[in-house]
Amino acid sequence: MSIETRDIHFSYGKIRALSGVSLDLGEGAVGLLGPNGAGKSTLLRILLGFLSPERGEGKVLGHDIRRDKASIRKLVGYMPEDDCLVPGMDAVTFTSYFGELSGMPRQEAMKRAHEVLFYAGLGESRYRLLETYSAGMKQRLKLAQALVHDPQLVFLDEPTSNLDPRGRQEILDLIKDIATSKGIQVLISSHILADIESICSYVVILNKGELAAQGRLEDLREVKFSLYEVKIKGDGAPFGKRLESLGCRLEETEDKILKIYMPQGVDRMEIFRAAVACGIQVRQFIKSRTSLEDLFARAVGVD
Amino acid sequence: MATIQEKGYGHWDGRLIERRLPWWPITRTAIRMAFRTRHFKFFFSGAFIPAIVYLVGIYVSERLDDFRFMIKGSEKFLVINPGYFKSYLTGDFLIFMMVLLMVFSGAGLIADDLKFNALQLYFARPLKKKDYLLGKAAVVGFFVLLLTLIPAVLFIIFKLIFSGNFEFLTSYPWLPASIAGYSLLITAFFACYTLLLSALSKNRRYVAIMIFAVYFFSDIIFGIFNGIFNNPYFSLLSLKANIQQIGAVFFGQKPPFDVPWPLSLAVLVAVCVLAGVALNKRIRGVEVIR
Repeated sequence: MSIETRDIHFSYGKIRALSGVSLDLGEGAVGLLGPNGAGKSTLLRILLGFLSPERGEGKVLGHDIRRDKASIRKLVGYMPEDDCLVPGMDAVTFTSYFGELSGMPRQEAMKRAHEVLFYAGLGESRYRLLETYSAGMKQRLKLAQALVHDPQLVFLDEPTSNLDPRGRQEILDLIKDIATSKGIQVLISSHILADIESICSYVVILNKGELAAQGRLEDLREVKFSLYEVKIKGDGAPFGKRLESLGCRLEETEDKILKIYMPQGVDRMEIFRAAVACGIQVRQFIKSRTSLEDLFARAVGVD
Repeated sequence: MATIQEKGYGHWDGRLIERRLPWWPITRTAIRMAFRTRHFKFFFSGAFIPAIVYLVGIYVSERLDDFRFMIKGSEKFLVINPGYFKSYLTGDFLIFMMVLLMVFSGAGLIADDLKFNALQLYFARPLKKKDYLLGKAAVVGFFVLLLTLIPAVLFIIFKLIFSGNFEFLTSYPWLPASIAGYSLLITAFFACYTLLLSALSKNRRYVAIMIFAVYFFSDIIFGIFNGIFNNPYFSLLSLKANIQQIGAVFFGQKPPFDVPWPLSLAVLVAVCVLAGVALNKRIRGVEVIR
């Protein structure tokens, strides 16, 4: 296991940020999901040793999060959420500087800085002052400094925030490449579900500081209901009530599509029987795949 | 901008090392960055003017007969003794230049890291808070020692070379220790003073103004109160006066103000203690609002 935590508790004063979080995370890309204030960044900071948990224990790559902070930080790369830079530096100096601080010999750090900057797509602008970088370039730079010492595990905190769609896709491609072909384990904290869905095979969902769900995405998708998207004409209220009496959960989207979560064992023909009974027309009927969004909504208890 | 993955990612086959001085990359990089600051080289060079003048003074003192036409009764200033060293090391111009170098090289040391959220990058490395602070303090130390310890040691060496004997050292065997002690004390004070002010704001300009203003206003306030009340104890309000008091003690000279020197030392130590408390509070890997 790359990350193991047992019963982690942490509070900011009276505000409880994490409550009894236990995780067993393996290799590959892991998504850390949750609404704002769920405790994602706090968990990352605890794993890096920035914060000490009030209770509980944990290991990152076999090193204790309380005692072996230095060992963990040697093996882990961290890409923070905020823009981080050292003014007056160019990207090569910046990246090699943090490589050196990680314990790389000076010459090696410089050589490696060039390599990772090319890899991150900053090869041509590596001698530009960091203050002149765009938001996308700063994101790439943060990724480059996280990779410079060739970590075994990278923590990425909201890696696609402040990016335009193209920049976002490029960063996602890069992260996917790191996670799938470079043998580096990746823990991505994000509230953008699509990002996590496109990269991660394993997700951890936090809600209000508690673990709401964790597991392989495929397993979590294997839910005990089927999802149908239906468009109807007529009064939907009695139709909905009838389906709810069968144990279904209904959601209406902005474009008036009814999402029907039907429990296992209930025949989908019941939808049509209910429509006939209520005198409404079914204009559209699609069996839908449960998205991470559905899973997320279910886990955190929001419709 | 180049597209990503233009070049492939290769694993690094080296080994991470445990540095004996983990803070050294911070110091080295910050010193290099200071020299890139506009006008810094000009002021840095200017800071050596007193050292050059005093060095010339040592040379002239050994050749008084050759330079008598130039000196014209100023021989009393060219007596090379601990007072000469004290005069150099506690001179108004030298202290002013040290403050000026702190403004250029020290203002942004922590303020920039706070403003640009760089602290979390430092502490995501195997780096302790003390390493970070030592690395930053050593930048200040480098410049202060370059203006105090190094010239003073060179003065002794050149004095011995110009005189051709060791009489000077045998007369004042404690002088090297005094130079080292005073230089280290002044370095510790300026490091604490600069880092304290640098940690108080995220804006390096404000910090630069504070470094300058606190130094000058403390002296101006001393001047005003001393003028009104004619009480030397007001010298304790002035950073410069306290430095000069301590300098005089280190070189066995009469302190310039009629105030017990331990009080002056206490003022300087108090600034260092305040810096320790403030830095401990301000320097964190993450900002925790409780």
